[in-house]
Amino acid sequence: MYSNRTTIKIGGESGQGINTVGRMLNQALNRLGFFTFANREYPSLIKGGVASYQVDIADKKIYASAKKNNILCTLSEKSFHTYIYDLLENAIVIHDGKDVELSPDEEIFVQKNNIQIIYLDSVKIALEAGGIEIMANVVLLGYIWKILKLDVNILIEEVLELLEGKKIDIEAEKACVLAGYNHPSYRDTLGQDITLPSPSLSRKLLMSGNEALALGALSAGMRAFYGYPMTPATSIYKFIGETANETKVVVKQAENEITAVQMALGSMYMGTRALTATSGGGFDLMIESISCAGMSETPLVIVLAQRIGPGTGVPTWTGSGDIYTAVRAGHGDFPRCVISISDIDSAFTLTQKAFNIADKYQLPVIILTEKQIAEAIYSTENLPNIEKIEREISKGENRYQTTDSGISPRWIPTKGLKPYLHTSDEHTQEGYSTDIAQQVKEMSDKRERKLETLKTEIPEPQYFGNQDTEIIFVGSGSTKNAVLDAQAAGQNIAYLSYEYVYPLKTDKLLKLANENRRLILIENNQTGQLGKVIKEECGYEFKEKLLKYDGRPFFIDDILDYLNK
Amino acid sequence: MALDIKEYNTTVQPTWCAGCGNFAIHVALKKSLIELNISPSETFISFDIGCNGNGADTVGTYGFKGLHGRSIALATGAHLANRKFTVFADIGDGGCFHEGVDHLINAIKSNYDMTILIHNNQNFALTTGQATVTTPKGKKMYAQPHGSPERNLDIDNFILNLHPTFFAKAYSGDPIQLTEIIKEAVKHKGCSVINISQSCPTYNKEMTPQWFNENILKTNTITEYDNQSFDQAKELLNTANTTKKIYTGIIYQDTTIPTFYDNLESRKGILSELTEEVKEYNIKNLLKYTNS
Repeated sequence: MYSNRTTIKIGGESGQGINTVGRMLNQALNRLGFFTFANREYPSLIKGGVASYQVDIADKKIYASAKKNNILCTLSEKSFHTYIYDLLENAIVIHDGKDVELSPDEEIFVQKNNIQIIYLDSVKIALEAGGIEIMANVVLLGYIWKILKLDVNILIEEVLELLEGKKIDIEAEKACVLAGYNHPSYRDTLGQDITLPSPSLSRKLLMSGNEALALGALSAGMRAFYGYPMTPATSIYKFIGETANETKVVVKQAENEITAVQMALGSMYMGTRALTATSGGGFDLMIESISCAGMSETPLVIVLAQRIGPGTGVPTWTGSGDIYTAVRAGHGDFPRCVISISDIDSAFTLTQKAFNIADKYQLPVIILTEKQIAEAIYSTENLPNIEKIEREISKGENRYQTTDSGISPRWIPTKGLKPYLHTSDEHTQEGYSTDIAQQVKEMSDKRERKLETLKTEIPEPQYFGNQDTEIIFVGSGSTKNAVLDAQAAGQNIAYLSYEYVYPLKTDKLLKLANENRRLILIENNQTGQLGKVIKEECGYEFKEKLLKYDGRPFFIDDILDYLNK
Repeated sequence: MALDIKEYNTTVQPTWCAGCGNFAIHVALKKSLIELNISPSETFISFDIGCNGNGADTVGTYGFKGLHGRSIALATGAHLANRKFTVFADIGDGGCFHEGVDHLINAIKSNYDMTILIHNNQNFALTTGQATVTTPKGKKMYAQPHGSPERNLDIDNFILNLHPTFFAKAYSGDPIQLTEIIKEAVKHKGCSVINISQSCPTYNKEMTPQWFNENILKTNTITEYDNQSFDQAKELLNTANTTKKIYTGIIYQDTTIPTFYDNLESRKGILSELTEEVKEYNIKNLLKYTNS
């Protein structure tokens, strides 16, 4: 039993409609005012396999899933066997279909944990209630709703709202929800220890990390998006594309990632704000262009949505193994900025900051996100306030004029203003190619000074927890959320959150290290890549590392297990 | 006030070989802009890497000398950001057909309103004469003492079969005709592709000015040649293949295909350019689309 949440998992095959059930459930819970965190696990295929939609329910913001479930609803036998061991004591399984033959181990597990299994033939129930086959989904929803002891009218309202605009039989939908809700197999012993907090009845906003990121980009005046599909970045393209008629942005599905990033470079040179987003493989294709942006001092913002593994890896699972690539990729020495988001709030805010930094410092900015953040559905009351647009557009004689800050004047190409050349050749202050030793060094030094200037602007990592806590986890991205979950569950631990991964501040970290606190590097990759960047920056080497690289995110359970070991 | 070619020049002198076709191509480019009354600050040129791109410093317009093979892709992004600019992608046959052929295909497909100038000297010249897709089979090239082992491809038929909305061929030794073609290409609303046969006295010695003069025929000397007819264009290129002649002029033009931008639902009725629209945007109305 988790002290701060109730968890429900819908499992089945891809293509069976588990997302529909999960989404309706999640929406209805948020309509009642609960905070939820929803996460989808799915294989890289269209039909079959084992997929799930998990909803964690709480009375305040939660930004990570827990590993184990109070309720498991399975639509396929394979998903039953896959998820059965992830059940809490007194959990309930609603299996849609014939009785499942349990293995001896499963039998023992079920007995030991007092797990109750209900077999429902939801299609039959739907048909008997006057519905059609597809309405089996809402039968299951009705049944879950009953176990949660929630008002069935709210669920009906939500179902009807979600189906609005589709050709449906409203009465049959209602009847099917009720048929599930009032099914005779329900008994009072089910879910006895599930106590949901009182619903606040103030409807919450639901959005994915990618949607929050896209909203951040739009807030910052992004006017063009160039994309090429690659999980888990693709839904940024989806959101921007589906809202383009409202936002009036230009959206282009490019022929490949090289084109996407080159188009972004061309648009940014001209003075608008453009975005491109990809995952590891596509990012690799963009690397030469990042080096080009560094040399030509062209603003560029790229989202790198990480999944686990090299090559094609495990395409629909999470990880943060591209931190080192983001920080180091590209030939030659050139300044860049790497920002890591951890949830919808930071996705929204930091994407806006990324554009400001790209414009002001005229360099490539890489926004790191992860499958776990990108596709998870968060609930919130509102997004943070919008950031002010800062661009530092100025006028000057020479586009690459040397300055103390390293930042040269940049003006938007405009009729009547002095034309200039951006070039990937080493160049003079005027922008003409050069190989004169002194000029090569001078210009290289000028660019590097931008990094020092940028470093004065970016903050130290953010500290979450009591000031005198002995145990401090250090990380970036989604690892924060599992640590904060453990903290909320009563653990006296803190988290040091690196949002700015490059350039990187280490004063605060070194101060904590000098106080002999227990610093634990936590990362969703195999080699502790953030730790490597920190070591390169200040020489500090973590003695303790908690690394997870099996494609799964950190759960509160991982943190508690680690602390107890 | 009439524009002067000096405004399109910079203080940098070209570094090309004596007799290089690039001189005339860039002069024709500048001259066409003057005659169209398009100033340097209304022009954007994306330069590739290679001998053509080595002229980037000598052109006083807005520009970007980016990566090898990518000048077309970069130019499309610049064009979409601000369509008030006249946009060119300057690229060699190596960059265009080796490193970045996908960009040519898709720029033609999307029909962006811009002009692609292919400097076709039949080799990678800046790296001292390697074979390209246009180098004849058997010709001795860099690191190929027994001659290039591969056949060359018919790039004209390749381009034409993509149904470009504007396709012309020109010759660097005839800058007057080239100027007229570039002007037509700029005026054409859509993606204009010009394959310019370019003399390369250092690495393509066989194709002397005399050879070109003997083998070039102009399409406007063919009676009743209709460059709006795809069939006639196909036939012309087939004849060129059999007779081993080069036809210069506008080979094919289709004015009925809308540009990429004009097809965008999101931009219907919008008069401003993307470069004018960077401001804080209130996302309140978008929140109803989340969790989709």
